[in-house]
Amino acid sequence: MAYAIETFSLTRRFGRTEAVVGLDLQVPAGSIFALLGPNGAGKTTTLKLLMNLLRPTRGRATVLGADTGRLGPRDFQRIGYVSENQRLPDWMTPDQLFDYCRPFYPTWDEALRKTLASDLGLATRAPLRTLSRGTRMKAALLVSLAYRPELVVLDEPFTGLDPLTRDELIRGLLEASGDRAWTVLVSSHDIDDVERLADWVGFIKDGRMQFAEPVSALLGRFRLVEIVPASEAAPVMPADARWLPHGSAGRTLRFIDTGHDQSDALARIEAAFPACDIRIAPLPLREIAVTLARSSRSSARERNV
Amino acid sequence: MLPFSISLRAGTPIHDQVVYAVRRAVVTGQLRTGDSFPSVRALSVALKINPNTAHKIVGTLTDEGLLTVRPGIGTVVAESRAPGSAGHRAILEHDAERLVVEARHAGVSLKDLMAAIRRHWSGTLENE
Repeated sequence: MAYAIETFSLTRRFGRTEAVVGLDLQVPAGSIFALLGPNGAGKTTTLKLLMNLLRPTRGRATVLGADTGRLGPRDFQRIGYVSENQRLPDWMTPDQLFDYCRPFYPTWDEALRKTLASDLGLATRAPLRTLSRGTRMKAALLVSLAYRPELVVLDEPFTGLDPLTRDELIRGLLEASGDRAWTVLVSSHDIDDVERLADWVGFIKDGRMQFAEPVSALLGRFRLVEIVPASEAAPVMPADARWLPHGSAGRTLRFIDTGHDQSDALARIEAAFPACDIRIAPLPLREIAVTLARSSRSSARERNV
Repeated sequence: MLPFSISLRAGTPIHDQVVYAVRRAVVTGQLRTGDSFPSVRALSVALKINPNTAHKIVGTLTDEGLLTVRPGIGTVVAESRAPGSAGHRAILEHDAERLVVEARHAGVSLKDLMAAIRRHWSGTLENE
């Protein structure tokens, strides 16, 4: 598989603080990859390292096949980058901004620019400084999409936006993607923002990658299992590396099966709980992420003992 | 705007939800033979879903024979054929169980439930 982005033990320190530690990230070409994690986890630092806005302390990364330390103007004609606190020439109107940016990009698609501008409600003659945060984000996104980049990197694009604006941004992004494969790397601290959009998710915490997997694999692998015994005897949770206890209440025992894609998954449950009513339900991506983050934290604690 | 009814829920794969919604639309006559079906991009934008997912949805529906590609026109709803695939039966099994649980919970009798099912049955198309 070809990767649009690949990092090798990427590490960045600020003084004594380790913002990103030994990060091995692989973003498959053609994917929409959501980089998730709490605030301060190292998402923004990672993206800045990828965009050559920061130098790594150790390790390295490649973006569209080029080493990030060598990324130059020609490479950035193929990359769109929008950050949460995007700086814009505030005195310009959106149209003036677009006119200003157009000559830098040989692949600028004016028809697409017009479509997106009307979809995003950017037909205004007011200068950027007088516009809302959401509208300014839309203008920044439009500039980065109008030249049809091969890779789009978005740093927390949805933070602090109202649902309608967020909706318009997502639609704009999908509208611009057209029918060709491009790669999108989007960071967010809120999984709800990207749940439907992403086909890959990676979770970063304390500068370390906790997991990175295709969404379909995650959804297929995880199930919430409820055991209700037919008799009065309360069920006992057996030890199984694939099963994470999820509490019990009344006569119901709950656990999360982390290997439900295995062919023996159901047989294993049935063998462990004879004469029980077994209910199996899919888990939303949000709960899967929480479960994984929690279990990786406890296994890290075990390693430290 | 999509020509079929759908509201996405978290937890179930989007692919499965959309495929189900289209099957339901075909069964109820919301979509009929020859109706044009949205492109991959239109589907992706309207539902705010990943284009790869939208692509897979159209692929599944085409493989199942619900949609067909007409060169120069686009994707349209295919002529109906005999249902009864494994996927259909799995959905039925799930829905039937839910229906029975809800009915018993609400104290509805089997007779009333069957009457309701018959009413809906005659409200759909292609009933033999």
